[in-house]
Amino acid sequence: MSVGTIAPRAEFAHSAETGHAWSQTMAMSKRSIIAIVRQPALIIPSLIFPLFFAALGSSSFSRATQLPGFPKVDSFLALTLAASVLQGVIFGSVTGGAALAVDIETGFFDRLLASPTSRVSILVGRLAGNALFGSVEALFFTLVMIPFGVNIRSGPAGVAVITVAGGLIGLGIGGFMAAMALRTGSAEAVQGIFPLLFVSMFFSSAFFPRETMKGVYRSIANYNPLSHLYEGMRDLVITGWSFDAVLKSLLIPIAIGCVSIPLALLALRRRLRAA
Amino acid sequence: MEAMSGTNSINDYPIYAEGLMRHFGDVKAVDGVDLQVNAGEVFGFLGPNGAGKSTTVRMLTTLLRPTAGVARVAGFDVVKDADQVRRRIGVALQDAAIDPLMTGHELLALQAVLYGIPKAKVRDRSRELLERVGLTGAADRRVGTYSGGMRRRLDLALSLIHQPTVLFLDEPTTGLDPMSRLALWEEVRRLNAEGTTVLLTTQYLEEADQLAHRIAIIDHGKIVRQGEPRELKAHVGAPTLVITVPTGQLDRAREVLRSFGDLRPTAEGSLGVGLSAGAEAVPAVVRSLDEAGMHVQHLELNEPSLDDVFAEATGYRLEGAASASGLPQAQGAEGGTGKRGRKRGANDSGGEPT
Repeated sequence: MSVGTIAPRAEFAHSAETGHAWSQTMAMSKRSIIAIVRQPALIIPSLIFPLFFAALGSSSFSRATQLPGFPKVDSFLALTLAASVLQGVIFGSVTGGAALAVDIETGFFDRLLASPTSRVSILVGRLAGNALFGSVEALFFTLVMIPFGVNIRSGPAGVAVITVAGGLIGLGIGGFMAAMALRTGSAEAVQGIFPLLFVSMFFSSAFFPRETMKGVYRSIANYNPLSHLYEGMRDLVITGWSFDAVLKSLLIPIAIGCVSIPLALLALRRRLRAA
Repeated sequence: MEAMSGTNSINDYPIYAEGLMRHFGDVKAVDGVDLQVNAGEVFGFLGPNGAGKSTTVRMLTTLLRPTAGVARVAGFDVVKDADQVRRRIGVALQDAAIDPLMTGHELLALQAVLYGIPKAKVRDRSRELLERVGLTGAADRRVGTYSGGMRRRLDLALSLIHQPTVLFLDEPTTGLDPMSRLALWEEVRRLNAEGTTVLLTTQYLEEADQLAHRIAIIDHGKIVRQGEPRELKAHVGAPTLVITVPTGQLDRAREVLRSFGDLRPTAEGSLGVGLSAGAEAVPAVVRSLDEAGMHVQHLELNEPSLDDVFAEATGYRLEGAASASGLPQAQGAEGGTGKRGRKRGANDSGGEPT
C-alpha cells in the first residue's frame, strides 16, 4: 500500500474554484448541440414533418384564403409559416427533454451531479441547445418557404425576429420538457407530452385566423397564448413590420419561458432534494 | 496504515462514516454503516446485489442524502460541504454512464470544464489520461463504438481528470471479460501506488481479495465484517496444510504435524493439519519434516477463503462468486503484482480447498 494523503495533492484539486458557471453552461450547450447534430434520425423528422404538414394544408385549404375574415395573403403557406416553426420547435424540444431524461435514466446526470459543476448550468446548457436549434429551425422553415411563394413583408429584419422568436420558443417549450424530464426521469413520459402540445396548436389560430372560428373553439383560441404568438409572427410575414407584431413574437415566448423555466428549476431542486 | 491507527481524528480519514443510514420508506437500504478508510488504502466493499453497497457509495459521493448518520470524505462533510467533497473525489459509477454520441476526447474536455481545469492544461491532461488507459487510438471515435472494457477505461479516465484524492469505483469490472478485468485491476493498483485512496465496491470475492487492503462485507444494509482479508480468513479458522508422504512414513509424519496444530481429515494417503500459527508456520513444518527424515511428495496450503468469511458472517454464500470473476483460480491466487504476494504452499490454489 502506498502512503496516501487526505490533503489535496494535485494541481487540479482546487481548480473547480476558478471554474465559471458560464463556461460550464457553454460546455453543456455544446454537448446538447452535438447530440442534435449527430442524431439526424431524430432531427430530420422535426424538419420534414412541419413542411409536409404545411404542404398538405396549402394544397387542401388554399381556397380557404377566400373565406370572409381571412387576412389577405399571397398563399396559405404564408399563414402556416408560424405554425411550421412551432411544430418544428415542439419536436426539437421534446427531443431535448427526452435526451435529458435519458441522461437521468443512464446515470450521466449523476456523473454531472458528482462533479462540482453548477446545477443550474446543467439545465441552462440543455435549454440553450434547445434555443439554438429553435432558431435554426425557424430560419430553415422561413428560407425554405420563400421559394414557394411566401413573401416576408417585414423583410430581413422580420426574418431576424422570427429566427429569434424560434429560439425563444425553444427555450419556453424546452423549459416545460425539461421540467417533465426532471420530474419523471423518463424519456417516455416526456415523449408522451408531444400529442398534448400538438393538439394545443389546433385550439389556436395556427392554421386559421380566429376571425373564422366560432363558439367554444374560438373562446379557447382567444385565451391560448399560442394564438397571439402565431398572429405576431404571421403579421411579420403577411402584413409587414410593426412594433405590435414584434412584441407579440418575442414577448409571448418569453412569457412562456417565465413560467416553464422556473418550473424546470423547481423540478431540478426537487430532484436534488429527493436524492 | 498502522501509524494512523489510534491517533486519528475523523478528518484524517479520507473516508469516514458513522451510523450512516439511508431508508427508502420502510426499506432500510443502508442501516448504520461505520467506515474508516485510511489514506492510501484500497478499501473493498463486498456484498451481493441489493446489500447496500451502491447506496453507501451514492451517499459518500454526495449523490444521495443520508437519512441519518455522519459521513466525511476528504475531510469534508458530504451534506454540509458537498461541493468541497466533489472537488476532491473521482467517481466511476456502476454502469459507466457515458454519452455514446460523444468521442473520448470530447467527454474528457467536457469533464475538464466541469472541474474548472484551465483550458491550456486540458489537452495535455486528456492525452496523458488516454494514454494511461490505452485509448489514445480511439480518442476521436464516438463512445458508442467502444467495447464494454473501453468504456470502463474511459470512465476511469474521466474520473481521474482532476487528480482526485479519493476514488470511488462502483463495481468497476462487472460485465467485463477477464482480460479487461485484469487490466482494470492493474490500473487500480497503479493509482493506489501513486497515493490515491480507493473505495471499490464489488460482488466478486476474488476482486476484493486481489485489490483490497481491507474489506467490509455488507449485507442487508449492515456491515457484518470488516478488516484485512487475511485477518478475516484467519478469524474463520487456521489454514490447513496438507502433505503427502510415502505410506510407510504416515505415522511419523502425523506425530510431527501434531505439534503445529490439530490434525484435520484429508483424503486417504495424505495428512492435514490446521496451522495454529498460521501460514507463517509452513517453513517450520517443512524443516521439521525434513529433520525427521520425511520425504514430502506433495504439499499444499488451503486457507479459508473470503467466501468462507462471507458465509460465516452472513449465513449464506455469495452465490457463484468464485466463478463469476471469470478468471482461472490459479491466476487469481498470486496475480503477478498482487499486494499480498507472500510465499504459499507448493500447490496453493489461492484459498479454495482442492
